[in-house]
Amino acid sequence: MSGFYINWSGELVAFFAFAVIMIVGAVLMLTLTKVVHMVVSLAAVFLGLGGMFVVLEAEFVAFVQVLIYAGAITILMIFGIMMTHHQAVQHEPARPVHEIVSAVASILLFGMLFYAIRTTEFEPSAPPLQAGVDNAMEIGKQLYTQHVIPFELVSVLLTVAFIGAIVIAKKEAE
Amino acid sequence: MLSSYLTMAAILFCIGLYGALSKRNAVIVLMSVELMLNAVNLNLVAFSKYGVLPSLTGQIFSLFTISVAAAEVAVGVAILIALFRARGVVNVDEFNEMRR
Amino acid sequence: MATVYSQYAWLVPVFPLAAFLILTAFGRGLKQTGAIVAVLGSFGALALSALVLIEHLGGADEYNDSFHWIKIGGYALTAGFDVTNLTALMLVVVSLVAFLVNIYSMGYMKDDERMTVFFGYVALFTFSMLGLVLADNLLTLYIFWELVGVCSFLLIGFWYQKPEAKAAAKKAFIVTRIGDVGLLIALLLLFWYMPDHDLSFAAIENVFGQTGLITEGITTLIAILIFVGAVGKSGQFPLHVWLPDAMEGPTPISALIHAATMVAAGVFLVARTFPIFEASQAALDTVAWVGAFTAIFAASIAIAQNDIKRILAYSTVSQLGYMMMAIGLGSVTAGMFHLFTHAFFKALLFLGAGSVIHAVHTQDIHEMGGLGKTMKTTAWTFAIGALALAGIPPLSGFWSKDAILAEALHANPALFVVGIAAAFLTALYMSRLFFLVFAGNPKAGGEAHESPATMTVPLIVLAVLAVIAGFVEMPFSGTGWFGEWLTGHAAEHEGAALVMLVSTTIGLLGIYLGWLIYVKGAISRDVVTSRAPWLTRLLERKYYIDEIYHAVFTVSLRAIGRACDAFDRHVVGGAVRLAGGAAFWTGRAATRMQSGQLQSYGLYVVIGLVILVAAIAGRRFW
Repeated sequence: MSGFYINWSGELVAFFAFAVIMIVGAVLMLTLTKVVHMVVSLAAVFLGLGGMFVVLEAEFVAFVQVLIYAGAITILMIFGIMMTHHQAVQHEPARPVHEIVSAVASILLFGMLFYAIRTTEFEPSAPPLQAGVDNAMEIGKQLYTQHVIPFELVSVLLTVAFIGAIVIAKKEAE
Repeated sequence: MLSSYLTMAAILFCIGLYGALSKRNAVIVLMSVELMLNAVNLNLVAFSKYGVLPSLTGQIFSLFTISVAAAEVAVGVAILIALFRARGVVNVDEFNEMRR
Repeated sequence: MATVYSQYAWLVPVFPLAAFLILTAFGRGLKQTGAIVAVLGSFGALALSALVLIEHLGGADEYNDSFHWIKIGGYALTAGFDVTNLTALMLVVVSLVAFLVNIYSMGYMKDDERMTVFFGYVALFTFSMLGLVLADNLLTLYIFWELVGVCSFLLIGFWYQKPEAKAAAKKAFIVTRIGDVGLLIALLLLFWYMPDHDLSFAAIENVFGQTGLITEGITTLIAILIFVGAVGKSGQFPLHVWLPDAMEGPTPISALIHAATMVAAGVFLVARTFPIFEASQAALDTVAWVGAFTAIFAASIAIAQNDIKRILAYSTVSQLGYMMMAIGLGSVTAGMFHLFTHAFFKALLFLGAGSVIHAVHTQDIHEMGGLGKTMKTTAWTFAIGALALAGIPPLSGFWSKDAILAEALHANPALFVVGIAAAFLTALYMSRLFFLVFAGNPKAGGEAHESPATMTVPLIVLAVLAVIAGFVEMPFSGTGWFGEWLTGHAAEHEGAALVMLVSTTIGLLGIYLGWLIYVKGAISRDVVTSRAPWLTRLLERKYYIDEIYHAVFTVSLRAIGRACDAFDRHVVGGAVRLAGGAAFWTGRAATRMQSGQLQSYGLYVVIGLVILVAAIAGRRFW
């Protein structure tokens, strides 16, 4: 994009819409007081992201995003909240110095990233990906041929993770 | 187009970073970390479409990221529950010794 | 005559040094025996000095022996002793007076607990003074000079429980130290300018005897600086302030140190380095005028003092002024002659004063009176000493003072007038002193009895010397061998008859005036006090010199000291505390980073990341 001339296309409109949803959700997540409200706004962010994946022609990823993140992980968070705190409202004692410094650090980091993004010339050596009609099929083809080993490893990881979670979270034998 | 996706991802990342550094409730910190991971996923998928060498590898990689994130959240919440049983609160600034 | 005894002249100081060591080591248990040890030590010194003197009176040559003491690079500092006619004479003077004072102290200090300490200090002093006399180069002399100052300090402050004694000792040491700085600088200058860095007196005589080797300006500077040292030690104006206060010490040491020997060291120094002064007319004039001014200045203060020892102290200052004036006029003979006679009659006067104080236990002359009736020996010997001091013929003081006045008349009549005026005042204050103390009726309630033999015998010996010592140099042709023997050329005797006449008249006039006021009462004692009380107060308060010194020097130096102390404590100490504090607080601050808080650590990571990226990747900007 050059200068102030905006080339309005559908993609751009959709991008902006989902972008607004995501940013609003993220900011609300930080500023709301009740924890459950925070989780809900996080879920909104996840959903927005799913929409953005669709815009990026990654439907399978969008599907997985909504399923896992907006579904499972959000519920897990709510369970975590339910089991770990007594009051609904979070009263945070002020740590002004710490908060201000971390805000400044984050903004600086964003500034550097933004500068890097703006000044890098991304010259695609090939036209953008034509993902094809059936995204799931394509991913499946790649996943089970080229990336089958990471795939198996991830499944082992998931097994270990849920066993570990159970072990950690269960009550000590009396 | 690519740069706008990347900027978006950067924004999400920094918001998540701020939350991870400044929130007291451990669950909220966990949620901020998830936000950061999501930003990374957006980066990956954007590069897979508009990057220098567009291919499906980005999307596949993001699938892996999502699974690992899920596993991590599960274990994380389990730990928090165990900690809550021991301490009674889940404030990050209360966990400042290696051993009891 | 062969120099048999001169070779052993270095033993002369060793006798009193041995006495000092014995007394210091075994002093606690000795008491009266300690006094005997001290007397024996000084007698040994006296005997050997007398032998050396007899040898030299017979015409022995000068003898010198020295050894290399410190070698620095290619240069060696030597230490040695010189036996010339001058030093032989001084040896006898010093050891004789020391011997007599030791005998006297056996009686005077009999009841003092720290008697052996006293004798030890006196022995140490005798050793230092004899070493000073024998020194053959200026450096060795300086060492003994300082040692003499230390002994004076120890002895003035002998009764250290009295705060006045402590203060007087400090004052003496500090004021003479000021003079010593001048001497030290002169020593350094000589070291710089003398060929081969040779500081011996023979070399000085050689170098300064030839004109042009060392420039006139430097010569004058060196001479003046040496004179500054002499001013401090001999109590000339303006460094005279310590001598009257030094009377806080026991009277025997006032006699020994502050009448006969240590204060004469200044005159001796100038005499020894006379070739330097001879080469610079400006220096000679300075010496003469300072001496003359001191003579009349101190004499004017003396007529208004009430403490017997202070009167004698100011008298010493005044007579030393005469000696300096003599040397400044170019006549070492006259100066040394007066030193020789003054040693005897001033020691006599001080010991006599000690005898009086021992009897009546007071030092204020207005509380004394009529002591002549009961203390016959003391009174007669004191009278002889007083007449000698006033310059009445045929006593020794008359001949030596006349030698000085004759030189003054010949060289500079203005100085002659000053000298005559001072002589008048001298006669006046001595007669005042004598009549107030010994004449009249005894005060009620005082049973003054004569002092024991150990105290009166030295008085008699000194009185005899005070009578006959003058006959060595009389200004009649054929009888004045002293000058020629001492310096190698005969003294001139022009106008001697006129001087004799004038000085005798003035002396008798002074005594008559004193008799009129204090015995006859024809003139009221308060004649000056009633008409011009400010004059009396001025003289009595010593022209307020002590107060002026205090206001100008002491106060400002104390203020500087306080400022330096504040600077040291706050600025320097503050800087040190700052360095320590900075390290401490940095550590404290760094400790705060290790809080155990996870989010703090995360924050530090992010900040570090930002800084690193900015530093590395941002290099394109600078």
